[in-house]
Amino acid sequence: MMTFLKSKNAILLFFLIALIVIFAALSGGGTLRPSNIINILQSITIVSLLTIGAGTLMIAGEIDLSLGGIGTMSSFVAALLLKQGVPWFAALVAAVAVGAFIGLINGFLVNELGFQSFIATLATASITTGAGYIFTSGLAVTIEDPTFRFIGNKLLFGYIPFSVLIAIIALIVYAMLLNKTKFGRSVYLVGGNRVAARLGGLKPKKVLYGLFINAGALAALAGTLLASKLLVANTVGITSSQFAGLTAAILGGISFGGGTGGMGGAIIGIMVLSCFNNGMTMVNIPPYWQTVASGALLLAAITLDFVTTSRRNKSEVKA
Amino acid sequence: MKNRLEFSNITKAFPGIVALSEVSFCADSGHITALLGENGAGKSTLLKILSGDIKADSGEVLLDGEAQNFKVPSDALRGGISVIYQERQMVASLSVMENIFAGELPHNKFGVINYKKLRKEAQELIDLFELPLDARMTVGRLSVAQQQMVEIMRAYRRNSDVIAFDEPTASLADTEITILFRLIKELARQGKIVIYVSHRMAEIFQITDKIIVLKDGKKVADFQTGETDEPTLVKAMVGREIGDTFNKLSRCTERGDTVLEVKNLTTKKVTDISLTLRSGEIVGLAGLVGAGRTELARAIFGADKVESGEIVIEGRSTRYKNPSGALACGVALCPEDRKEEGLVLSRSIRQNITVSVLSRIRKFIFLDNAKEKKLSDIAVEKYDIKTPSTGKLVGELSGGNQQKVILGRATNELMATKVLILDEPTKGIDVGSKAEIYQIICDFAKSGMGVIVISSELPEVLNISDTIYVMANGKITGVLSREEASEEHVLELAMAGQ
Ligand SMILES: Nc1ncnc2c1ncn2[C@@H]1O[C@H](COP(=O)(O)OP(=O)(O)OP(=O)(O)O)[C@@H](O)[C@H]1O
Ligand SMILES: [Mg+2]
Repeated sequence: MMTFLKSKNAILLFFLIALIVIFAALSGGGTLRPSNIINILQSITIVSLLTIGAGTLMIAGEIDLSLGGIGTMSSFVAALLLKQGVPWFAALVAAVAVGAFIGLINGFLVNELGFQSFIATLATASITTGAGYIFTSGLAVTIEDPTFRFIGNKLLFGYIPFSVLIAIIALIVYAMLLNKTKFGRSVYLVGGNRVAARLGGLKPKKVLYGLFINAGALAALAGTLLASKLLVANTVGITSSQFAGLTAAILGGISFGGGTGGMGGAIIGIMVLSCFNNGMTMVNIPPYWQTVASGALLLAAITLDFVTTSRRNKSEVKA
Repeated sequence: MKNRLEFSNITKAFPGIVALSEVSFCADSGHITALLGENGAGKSTLLKILSGDIKADSGEVLLDGEAQNFKVPSDALRGGISVIYQERQMVASLSVMENIFAGELPHNKFGVINYKKLRKEAQELIDLFELPLDARMTVGRLSVAQQQMVEIMRAYRRNSDVIAFDEPTASLADTEITILFRLIKELARQGKIVIYVSHRMAEIFQITDKIIVLKDGKKVADFQTGETDEPTLVKAMVGREIGDTFNKLSRCTERGDTVLEVKNLTTKKVTDISLTLRSGEIVGLAGLVGAGRTELARAIFGADKVESGEIVIEGRSTRYKNPSGALACGVALCPEDRKEEGLVLSRSIRQNITVSVLSRIRKFIFLDNAKEKKLSDIAVEKYDIKTPSTGKLVGELSGGNQQKVILGRATNELMATKVLILDEPTKGIDVGSKAEIYQIICDFAKSGMGVIVISSELPEVLNISDTIYVMANGKITGVLSREEASEEHVLELAMAGQ
């Protein structure tokens, strides 16, 4: 099984390299230009934060569809507070707190009221997106705060976006959390068999609260980062990445069944997705066709997940 | 009607293990052929090959001399072969009748299901099996034993020429077993080819005609049932003699203080239960299926809500609301249903063994892999779990070996257990290992724990327990010492509430 998982990551890695080569060839080297690599790195930041939140929940056997909505709403909170003259740090903390709070609500709906996470988060997704529109009457809010500008756009050594550091640190921290700590282990056990995890002395509800709150906070951070990059909080921004986190997680081998996958695969998934989306823009594929192609990629990822999960289940179920 | 099923030179390897090697034998129509062997000997694997669920690396399955080439289980079903797997395969959210007729629901030409017909036919089957069930009940709400019977009904209804049972009685009680055996014999009388796997030797002698013994994936012997005896079979199967398991047990004779006192405990499922357990003592819970033994265990373990009454541990009244709290107070449970409640099949042996002690294998905030590995090596050694490595996924182990993993988890060295509750600890475990597990249980008592054992195998409860509480309808109907307890006496008390 281990070797099999490894080989699944290997297939992905191979696919990633193929993508890079093909798009580089098609764009006449355009995708490899520094300015474009910077672009890719910046998009990786946003997708990474969403993937960590969505992916850890999927490992625990739940799904969160509200991350785009949370991101949108939180970025408005930050932008509006900045407009009121609130210092940058307080605005950022407030935005993340709002995200965490929505996550808490998701957790409550799932844990205490017994809603399926798919349904609970579908509802909070539309509430948060709607709330974003209402706050701003659908208008974009510009960001002028210098620190936000710095966080979103500063290039270190002229090449490395500052924000990508945040993503790299987050990926490393969460990889360690999942693989090496009791909490991470609980996530896998709860995802693999919730009843057994509880009878084994773990607290599945606590784990789920933690994960929903975490996903909400990270989505808020992602939304705020995106706004600080674009220098404007608007309703289009992060909603377009709505499913990016899920897609990257699935591409990276985190399955809907729960209990399997990890950050290693997810990182490759994130890169595949980011290179794919960027490459399509660089070779001038019309936006509508890009949407279709992204859908096809998601479909391919889910098919791969389905085929491998059902194979796994088959060997598990019967003894 | 087919006359002969033949396995010819079947070989199958999994990573790190040869599950079957050149296995050949025949099973004839009208006969019940037993497959016997230790945990991990390859019995279930052979049946999965028969059902087309997995493919042999080499060798053939022949029906009346014709090689069969099943690619998926539905091919085998159409070819007249039904296999009832060791683990239940039902859709818990659907009704009994839908599960029984899964895949072949009666419908009209528009595909609309004829529920009236469905219900009538399902109910007839249920009555034939003498079960107190309504065809419309949701399967998830049935007991493990009832679910197992539903599974059997589904295969029975298909009326296949070949029907194979993989440890069907592991979770059944005597009454259900009696009915099942009557029906299995009836199948043989109708000229079907029946294959029967079980670790219970008495059953093998009771219903089979012929016995094939597997050891480490090889066929090592075959017998006509009438011409052999239990010691011979056990020797062929285990490779040594085990003698009288119960008489040679080295029991704990010292009694310490009371470790557990249950006072007038009432939950939704059990009423007014009082019980005392002393350090070094083994208490057995006997009763019919549905008597409330598992529910009592769950209540003591904090898994079900307690409505009234008190649980006192080492003299201190406790009020935990979940298993995590119970574990902290030194109460451990090995649950009855390993697949649903015990194990995380998609994780490794190692990760399953340490579920309850994660906080104790930490270095700073990180889990200590070396410690985890060492703990699981100890469990593998102690319970003789057959596996190439502790990194193997539990779902890939044989049924009996999975059971050993759950025992290993519940009796982990680091747990500081005072009250150990074992619900059907030897379910699916082979005769050789069973003897060892009985001794391990006595050793736990010797080490000062109080142990509660639940088993639907009456001889097991009667022989390893020092005190026996008999339950019926969620109440305790009698308390006996081992010397007083006889099967008749216990059964009488178990029927008391009826
Ligand atoms: N899907 C699988 N992947 C890897 N190994 C497997 C798989 N299925 C079975 N095995 C291995 O094959 C061997 C035989 O297993 P099998 O389930 O046939 O044993 P069994 O005789 O039915 O034992 P039991 O009495 O415990 O049910 C075991 O060592 C098991 O670990
Ligand atoms: Mg088996």
